[in-house]
Amino acid sequence: MSQVKKVVIAAVCAALGIVLPMAFHSVPNAGATWLPMHIPVMISGLVAGPASGLATGVLAPVLSSLLTGMPAAAMVVPMTCELAVYGLVSGALSRVVRTGSVNADLYVSLIGAMVAGRVVNGVLRALIFSPGAYTLEAWLAASFLTCITGIVLQLAVVVPIVVSLERAGLVPPRYPEE
Amino acid sequence: MRAPVGYVWADSPLHRMGVPAKLLGLLACVALVVWASAPLELLTVALVVALLVAASRVGWRAACRAAWGLRWFLAMVLAFNALLFSAADPLFSLGPLHLTAAGVAQGLRVVVRTLLVVVLGTLLTCTTRPQELVDGVRRLLRPLGRLGVPVEAAALAVGVTVQFVPTLLRESRQLMRAQALRCGDVASRGIVRRAASYVRLLVPMFVSALRRADELSLAMEARGYRLDGGAASVRGGEEE
Repeated sequence: MSQVKKVVIAAVCAALGIVLPMAFHSVPNAGATWLPMHIPVMISGLVAGPASGLATGVLAPVLSSLLTGMPAAAMVVPMTCELAVYGLVSGALSRVVRTGSVNADLYVSLIGAMVAGRVVNGVLRALIFSPGAYTLEAWLAASFLTCITGIVLQLAVVVPIVVSLERAGLVPPRYPEE
Repeated sequence: MRAPVGYVWADSPLHRMGVPAKLLGLLACVALVVWASAPLELLTVALVVALLVAASRVGWRAACRAAWGLRWFLAMVLAFNALLFSAADPLFSLGPLHLTAAGVAQGLRVVVRTLLVVVLGTLLTCTTRPQELVDGVRRLLRPLGRLGVPVEAAALAVGVTVQFVPTLLRESRQLMRAQALRCGDVASRGIVRRAASYVRLLVPMFVSALRRADELSLAMEARGYRLDGGAASVRGGEEE
């Protein structure tokens, strides 16, 4: 995939990261429970690599905050760090993991990114953003309980979307000989 | 779905100001908002923002539109802070919920700060065309190019993102209308069914968006646009 296409995919996924939360905002508290901004970030990483995932993870929350006011200013920096890790790790793992099965590769990369992003988010909050006031219980609640719907949604839709994009010929197949 | 506020045509000092200066000014104002905590400090910053809105000549309605879209979220933030911030010296208690003066003050502080930052961000998009914003980001990031930051790629990504938002919004509305024709009105259903109906839109939205990305990158490359190590070149060597 060319550099230009990688940058354009990162940008289009960032635009989706702005548009999807706007659709979900008609559902109360959807941002924290359905995590609509996470989906395009992970897809960007999975289809275009770690640099594109990282770029989408940075652009989506920053530009969304500027254009729509969401996420709120106080949340932009921690959320940007978390999303950047999702994009970076999903892209890096999808490049490294080769099990022979497209679905297995994508699920391993996706789950790895979901865990890494949450761990980095917890560490940053405990050490930098809320030092001394952030507990393990608060991290578990915010990272796994409140957003359990979003986690299920990501596991249910991210891999089928990437497979659909491969089948539509919009991204190169992982195993061209198949 | 409410579209983000776009460029508002007017002749004002803010419209004429250079974009790098505007971006740096926005950062300075946001830092000022974050620093202000006492009521008098917040009032002073709010006055500065009000003066900027008046000077921009975009109108109060356009400047406050994004902030108005957040009213329910901000009401929830205020309620959470008022009821959960502290248990000391409550005005009213109900189980684990304690309404306190400190909680109300904290909630108001968070709400006012958020409103001010949202209005500042709206002012930037109301007074700056997308292409000017891209050029401004490029000029602002240029010194970082010496440190290896891919400035051209970053400016291209910002530009494509900003220009794709209205396109994707329009497409998602069309998809929603198509779904409403097939399955009934999405907005009139319960929360879970409404959310589930949005989920069904994800695959067509992504396929359509990535198809557009494919077409755009093919068109750019066909015209000789290349990104080599973050620097752009057109027709195989001529620097932009």
